[in-house]
Order: sequence, then C-alpha cells, then structure tokens
Amino acid sequence: MSETTKNTSNSDAIDVHSDDFQKDLMKILIEKSSKDPVPRRLFLKTAAFLGISSSLYSMSPAFADENEIVVVNWGGDAVTAHKNAWASRYEAQNPGMKAIVDGSGPSSGKIKAMVESGSVTWDLCDRNNIAAVDLGRQGLLEEVAYDRVDPEAVPEAYRLKYGLGSYYYSFALTWDTTAFERTPTSWKDLWDLENFPGPRTMRKNFEGQMESALLADGVPRDQIYPIDIDRALDKIKQIKEHTIYWGSGSGSQQIMRDGEALIGNLWHTRASIVNRETDGRVDYTFNEAILFAGSWLQPKGAPAGKKAWDFAAAAQDPASQVEVFEFIGMGPINPKAAALVPDDLRHRDAGNPDNLAKQIAADAEWYASDYGTILNRYLDAIAS
Amino acid sequence: MTDVFAPSARGGSLFGASASFRKNTAYWVMVLVPAVFLATLYLTPVISVMVRSFVEPTVGLDNYATIVDSAAIRSVLGKTAYICFMTTALTLALGYVTAYAMTHAGQREKYVMFFLVILSFWISVLIRTFAWIAVLQPQGILNDILIGLGLIERPLRLVRNDIGVIVGMVHYMLPFAILPLFANMQTIDRTLVPAARALGASARWAFFTVFLPLSLPGLAGAGILVLIFSSGFYITPAILGGGKVVMVAEYISLQMSETLKWGLATSLATCLTVVVLALTVAMSRFMEVGSAGKRV
Repeated sequence: MSETTKNTSNSDAIDVHSDDFQKDLMKILIEKSSKDPVPRRLFLKTAAFLGISSSLYSMSPAFADENEIVVVNWGGDAVTAHKNAWASRYEAQNPGMKAIVDGSGPSSGKIKAMVESGSVTWDLCDRNNIAAVDLGRQGLLEEVAYDRVDPEAVPEAYRLKYGLGSYYYSFALTWDTTAFERTPTSWKDLWDLENFPGPRTMRKNFEGQMESALLADGVPRDQIYPIDIDRALDKIKQIKEHTIYWGSGSGSQQIMRDGEALIGNLWHTRASIVNRETDGRVDYTFNEAILFAGSWLQPKGAPAGKKAWDFAAAAQDPASQVEVFEFIGMGPINPKAAALVPDDLRHRDAGNPDNLAKQIAADAEWYASDYGTILNRYLDAIAS
Repeated sequence: MTDVFAPSARGGSLFGASASFRKNTAYWVMVLVPAVFLATLYLTPVISVMVRSFVEPTVGLDNYATIVDSAAIRSVLGKTAYICFMTTALTLALGYVTAYAMTHAGQREKYVMFFLVILSFWISVLIRTFAWIAVLQPQGILNDILIGLGLIERPLRLVRNDIGVIVGMVHYMLPFAILPLFANMQTIDRTLVPAARALGASARWAFFTVFLPLSLPGLAGAGILVLIFSSGFYITPAILGGGKVVMVAEYISLQMSETLKWGLATSLATCLTVVVLALTVAMSRFMEVGSAGKRV
C-alpha cells in the first residue's frame, strides 16, 4: 500500500500506476486464498466483494489448484443435490481430486466475460442444449471429451459437439385444481379464457413459450420449427392482459402457490415442487410439454481441461440421476435410469419413455439461429 | 472541509511553517488514497464500458443509432422515464408531509419518527418487494380488507403492473426524500412563520409565501436524488411489474447476461451514466454542496 501511495503522489501518475495498485491488491488476495482449502471460490467471492471485474481474473491461473474442478450450477437445492449425488461420486472415483459445486449461475454473459479475458475459473457449467449450440458457435466453449464419458448413456440427440446431456426438464402446463370445472389438458386451455378464466403465468423469456403459443394456435406438433415468430407473438399478446410473467423459478412457484395465477407455463421441476407443497392443489401434465436437455458445457480454456469431463462421467450413473430426480425433480437422461425410478414417481419423470412420447423436443438449432434478437422481440411483445 | 482542519490550523501557530507543510501533506494523502482507489476500481471499469459501446460489435456509432431507431428500446426508455417521474412526484409529496411533521413535532415524537424512517433501511429490498406482493395481490391483505368493508366487489389489480412498481419504489425511496427535506427544514428560521402570522397572514398564506419558498432548495435536491436512484431500479420493477414493466437497468442486464449484445448494453449504460451525471451536477447546485461548511 505504501508503495502505491508513493507512486501516485503525483496526480498525473494515477492512470499509469493504477495497474500496480490492482496487482498489489490481487497479490494479497492470491496469497491469502492459496492457503485456503477452497482457494478459487474464496478468491472469486472476495474479488466480487471488492467490485473487481472479471477482466482482472487473468492473474488467477497462478493458483488454480490442479487437484480440484469447479462445477457451476444455478444455486439453491441444486447445489446440495449435485454435491450429494455427483460430487461425492466423482471424488470417490478420482482419488485426490476435489469437486467444488458453485451455485453462482453460469449465465452466458459470465462465460463470455471469462473467456474473452482469457481467465476462466469454471470447469463445467450446468446449462442446456440450446446454450451448447449457441455459445459453441460463438467460440466460447470446449468440445465434449467423448473419450472420457459414456456416449451410450445419453440419447443421440443430446450428444452435441459442445454439450453433453445431463438431465431432462420441460415447460409444462400447470394449473390450480380448485380453480376450474374441467381439467386443462393442452396449451389451447391456457389461451381459453372462457372455460379457464383467471390470471395466467408464462416465462419472461421465450424458451418453451413460443411453442406453447403455436400449439394453442393449432400448429401440428411436427411443424412447430422453425417457429413463425410473428404468429407466436401475436398469440401471446392475446392473453398478455391476463398474464403475469415469471422471472425466476422460485418466483413461478410463489405465483402458483399464492393463487396469483391459476394456470400457466412452468418448468416441470418447479411445478412438481408446488404440487408437493400444496398437497396436489397445483398439478401439471407432460402432455405437449416442451422438452429441453440440461447439458454440461465447458468454457473455452477451462483450467482443469479434459479432466473436468470425469465429473460429467460420474454424473452419468443411473442411480445418481434418480437420486437427483427424487430430490429436485430433474428427469434422468440415462435411458437405463427410467427403470430405477420408483413406481409411484414414474409419472413425474420427464425422461420416462411414456412421458417422452407426450412431449415436444426443443430444436436447439432454431434457438441458436438468433437467440438474442428473438429474446428482445419477445420482451418487447410482453411489455405493456 | 475547512472546519475539519480548524484545530490543526490553530496548532500551526505553535509549530510554525513545517506543521503547515505537514498539514498539507496529510491533506493530499487523505485525498489521494481514495482518489486512487476510485480511479482504479471504479473509473477504469466505467471507462472500459464506455469505450466498448463505441467498438462492439463494430467501430462507430451503430449502437447509439440502434437506441434512437429501435421502437422497442424507445418504449423501455419511455417506461423508465414515466415510472421515475411518478415515483419522484409521489415520494416528494409524501416525504414533504412527513418531514414537515417531523420538523414541527416534539423532541420525543421526532426521535420516534426518525427511528421509524431509518428502520426501513434495515430491510432488504427483496424482502420488501415480496412483502408488497403479499399486501397488494388479488388475494392479498389490502384487497381482502377492501372487499370485507364492502368497498369493492372484485379484487383490484394493484401489483404485477405499473401501480405495483410505483408503490414499491416510492416505499423504498421515501427515506431518501424525508432525510434531506428534514435537514433543509431544520435550517429554516422557526420564527418567520409566526412573524408572518403576527403581521396578519393566514396559516395557509404564511405556509405558501414563507415556509414553502424557503424549503424549495431541499425539495429540488431531494427530488433529483430520488430521480437518480429511481433510474437504476432493477429488482423492484422486475418482480412487482410481472414482466410487463421492463426498465432500462433490467434491459441492460439482460443484454449483458442473456442476449450477449454487449455493444447495446454498454451504450445504454453510457447514456444512463450521462443522464445521472447531469442530474448530479444539477443537484449539487440545489444542495449547495460548496457552501455546506458555512452553516452552523
């Protein structure tokens, strides 16, 4: 610190020496964190606390621990589930290695920031098949190391160049069973204000929403893609007046639990939690649900390199996928897992062959064609 | 600032010129350390954001042309301006009344009111936001009461729209208006209004011709402060707006993290920064920052 002060005692010198000050701060951080059992995580947290942008992470490779990999998901119960089912299994299979599950949310923006600054601290990210195609095309991802994972444990459609299917989830028709005389069965009912009156809810992002609009508008399920954007947005605007748009998964749970909306388009994982919490008052169906595959992605230049895919391999174990399913509802993607699901839960498994047949698989190629522009058009359409 | 150094300046007469030099050195060190800290950790990223707005994805003013041309972005900016002005107007109205009451309350009452105003600072914005949903939603407390009293038949739509956002923002901003207004009103000579009354002015006339004009600088300063804070709101409109109230901060965040249109995000951020800076300059005039030390 004293050195820094000396360097900058002339105001003209501030810009020239600002780098030194940062480096000094970072050196302290690095020294401190290298003694810690979870160095990178503490480092990231401290850096975030200091408001230091990711461009400064370029100093971090010096202490990226060779014996650990950092797996990033979206936080909450998923951290516990991935730790218990997958990190423990990975560590047992790879003695001396440690898997850190970080719940800070691997958004596209954060991945791009890390890759562009040449200082990646994440080894494996929990995203989906759309991001695999989209970000892969933008040169932000490493290819899947198929020599380290079992290709047969993932259906062919989800063995992508830049992403390996990890679980199933879908956008499912969800409703309050006490609200209507009839039981809704298809997306048409979400648009049917006469027979199913009341507030509805959809997502503040177009994923899985445009498809439901086209299905409700009478487009046959095999002709959904490529999506007619104008037609889908027009349909969505029809019920906009009555729709609350949810942002986070937990927000969608609250909206259905509190009865703010009576029918909607939710992640089936969240719908299943509300179903449990309300003792069945809120229910959902896989009929016409829009199916996505959670996927492991590796940011370009990830410190652990190909080793990180050993974690994805550990997470392919069918029993561990069923464990995650029972805990947070994500459908096992390994075809061998379906038979291990307890009988009374099979109707809740998105990966169950009967349920798979009812759903419509999202077309990642269409999504990746111009993700950002379509998202902005959707936001503009729903904003009043 | 002169007040701060008054004791050491007095001491200067004992120690002579060297003490005065030491005083100046200490002064510069004190200013430089935070200046360097801000320059490195704050100014550098801000400048890099501004630079990016002119070079990504191509060099030039394309991003700014998009802001002007795009109807979608214009509607986001329009919505932001509308929500900010509504929030500021309502916050000032409610804040003025509260600050006026605090100024004229007894010492004990003043302490209680002060405590209640400060109290809301301790509650996280996320908790407040969800609390407002509990109060305002169709099956919420407020609608239940209104229906129970027979004032309305069907629940009013008070949240997941503009109204909900404005209510949540006004609630958050109130202390930021009350405290500067209260500080300003404290400086108004308490004998002026009684003097006007003694000279025959009615209570209302005395307020509008004596007290209100004297409180105008406080009102303007508090108003600009609230306007600045309001322009950056993100969580409150995102949740209470139900997806239909997209303000500029949320839009920028989406362009950064979801659409990866960083050129657009940074150019919008630059515009917002320029507006806030202009407002800050305006506020510093009303708040008389330079002459703050003169007051007793």
